[in-house]
Amino acid sequence: MPIDVVIRGILSPLFIASILRISTPIILPALGGLISDLAGVINIALEGIMLVSAFAGVIVSAYTHNVWLGVLAGMVVGILYALLLALFHLYLDTDIILAGIALNIMAAGGTIFLLFILTGDKGNSSTLASGAVPTVTIPFIDSIPWLGTIFSGHNIFTYLAFIFTGLVYVFLYKTPMGVHLRAVGENPVAAESVGINVKRTQAIAIALSGFFASLGGLSLSMAYLTLFQNNMTAGRGFIALAAVFLGGRTPLGTTIASIIFGFADALANQFGSLDIPPQWVQMIPYAATVIALVIYSLRRQAKQRERLRRFQEGEIDDTKTAEAGSD
Amino acid sequence: MRNKLFLIFSLLIVASMLFAACGGEEATEAPPSAEEPIKVVHLVNGVLGDKSFFDSAERGVRQAEEEFNYTVKTIEAGIDPARWEPALEDAAANEEYDIMILGTYQMSEFLQNVAPKYPDKMFIIYDVSVDYEACEGCDNVYSVLYMQNEGSYLAGYYAGLMTQEEMEGMNDDLIVGVVGGQDIPVINDFIVGYQQGAADAGLDPNSGVIIQYAGSWNDPAKGKEITLTMYQQGADIVFSVAGGTGVGIFQAAEEAGSYALGVDSDQATIIADTDPEQAEQILTSMLKNVDKSLYRALKLYIEGTLPFGTAENLGVAEGGVGLAYNQWYEKNTPQSVKDAIAQAEQDILDGKIIVDTVFE
Repeated sequence: MPIDVVIRGILSPLFIASILRISTPIILPALGGLISDLAGVINIALEGIMLVSAFAGVIVSAYTHNVWLGVLAGMVVGILYALLLALFHLYLDTDIILAGIALNIMAAGGTIFLLFILTGDKGNSSTLASGAVPTVTIPFIDSIPWLGTIFSGHNIFTYLAFIFTGLVYVFLYKTPMGVHLRAVGENPVAAESVGINVKRTQAIAIALSGFFASLGGLSLSMAYLTLFQNNMTAGRGFIALAAVFLGGRTPLGTTIASIIFGFADALANQFGSLDIPPQWVQMIPYAATVIALVIYSLRRQAKQRERLRRFQEGEIDDTKTAEAGSD
Repeated sequence: MRNKLFLIFSLLIVASMLFAACGGEEATEAPPSAEEPIKVVHLVNGVLGDKSFFDSAERGVRQAEEEFNYTVKTIEAGIDPARWEPALEDAAANEEYDIMILGTYQMSEFLQNVAPKYPDKMFIIYDVSVDYEACEGCDNVYSVLYMQNEGSYLAGYYAGLMTQEEMEGMNDDLIVGVVGGQDIPVINDFIVGYQQGAADAGLDPNSGVIIQYAGSWNDPAKGKEITLTMYQQGADIVFSVAGGTGVGIFQAAEEAGSYALGVDSDQATIIADTDPEQAEQILTSMLKNVDKSLYRALKLYIEGTLPFGTAENLGVAEGGVGLAYNQWYEKNTPQSVKDAIAQAEQDILDGKIIVDTVFE
């Protein structure tokens, strides 16, 4: 494929639209991962939660012929599945990483098992007529060239991803619950000493992460595609976790980091048709991750050095240093 | 508490060992009868339900079970490639079997290590050949390969002719696409054939065929995104050679109103009942008749003429590969194209067309 076709593809509004589409199932679980991580309970079961929700949504919508019941079922199942993690970790004292791995494995095997029982098929749900959430055409913007292609006509989950980025910011930084949640993550003993129920707060954080991961799973099986396929999440839950850290553990940063992943993936799809070894192309998303992480940590180190220098020169008083230390 | 638990567990383990031992004795005491079925283990290095490759293999093995004196046990090793080698070693050492059937390029090296250790067992490997020169003691392995390059030549020739037709969903660009699951020899054998076929239909062999690898056999979202990109770059027919990822290719075709070609099984027929609109977009499928080849192998085994220690290549002539001439093909294809495809098939049979291959 000549390079000019590829470049024209990248410059077209369709490319930006595809970035938003690819990013959606990463942004949503990443927001969930962010909340649980800030509460000090890292949820590595995002992948498994996405999978069970994707499955539940497809199955319920197929049997009830109602898309919204499917979405609701997916959310409920996702939250319940996340609460299993809370049960194991907070109340039965299991290591949270081990419990998360167990839930991921159970989701991968369990969905195939149930799919086989229900449909007699181990691969995908293509024998079921499952529902698709509608796409949204934004009036007025839709009729503007370029902007219309980029911003209009996506499925609901894509818009939700961006709306929730704002809501999660408000929740974490502007509500008492959000402040408690972050306090618990920073120092559970201190939080408990001022009367915050640590376990309950962490359980709520895990439930919320389950809610967001479920939206991510549903966006894959009921919007992006309209079927469930075994292991269809294909590692997106783990990429979402990476996005949390890449984004500096802030809502906006997390969403931007997810979009960087989406961009790298979309770029790989465009470059894939060039006559270069496919391994190089498939490396793009991962290379982008490594580069972004390196830039992020270099900047962080530079900031810390700068703070240290200013502290030594006596420019910053003690309270600000304490803030820098907790960063 | 802990001690009690430990005791219960130990008792359970001892009890289960006793039962297992009893079971074993009974089995050995039973007189060996001539009518005892031949035990076959089908080891799938993936999961069933891909609607193409492994499902086809399983179909063939099960058909042989129905018609001949076989009992088949299928083991799915899962999608994690790290578990495939241990799964093969486990199955070879612990399962009761006379013949073990497995497939794919990824398993051939593992089998070369395992087969010589079990000289009294028989192995059938499909879609790849073990390296008989490098492997001493692979006399108990029969390999069956498919000339996917020949079948893909027909697919590429067909796609190349169809993209030049004036029909709904076809653009003016003389471009077709192909999505491979992984950059491995078997997949590239599909692709060189497809490219050659498209070139013979009048397309530019380089700029006329967009080639992409999804890097995964189980990521339909990725397959959909790549296919939409190909349509955007001017392709109107995309050939799926990507297993479960291909489901996304068909969804992209349905969404964009463009076309796709299926692989391995007749994929339009498989989904016709539940998703007739999507089936409409799959013009035909390149059949790789894994099912027929395994059925044939097991039949030959019963007859005592299965050539262990050798590899067989099944092409168009042997019915190993071909296009699915189904109702959608009949409906969408103009007579002139049908005639051209029939001619190309005949030319391959007569040896007038030699299709490139990445093997040898």
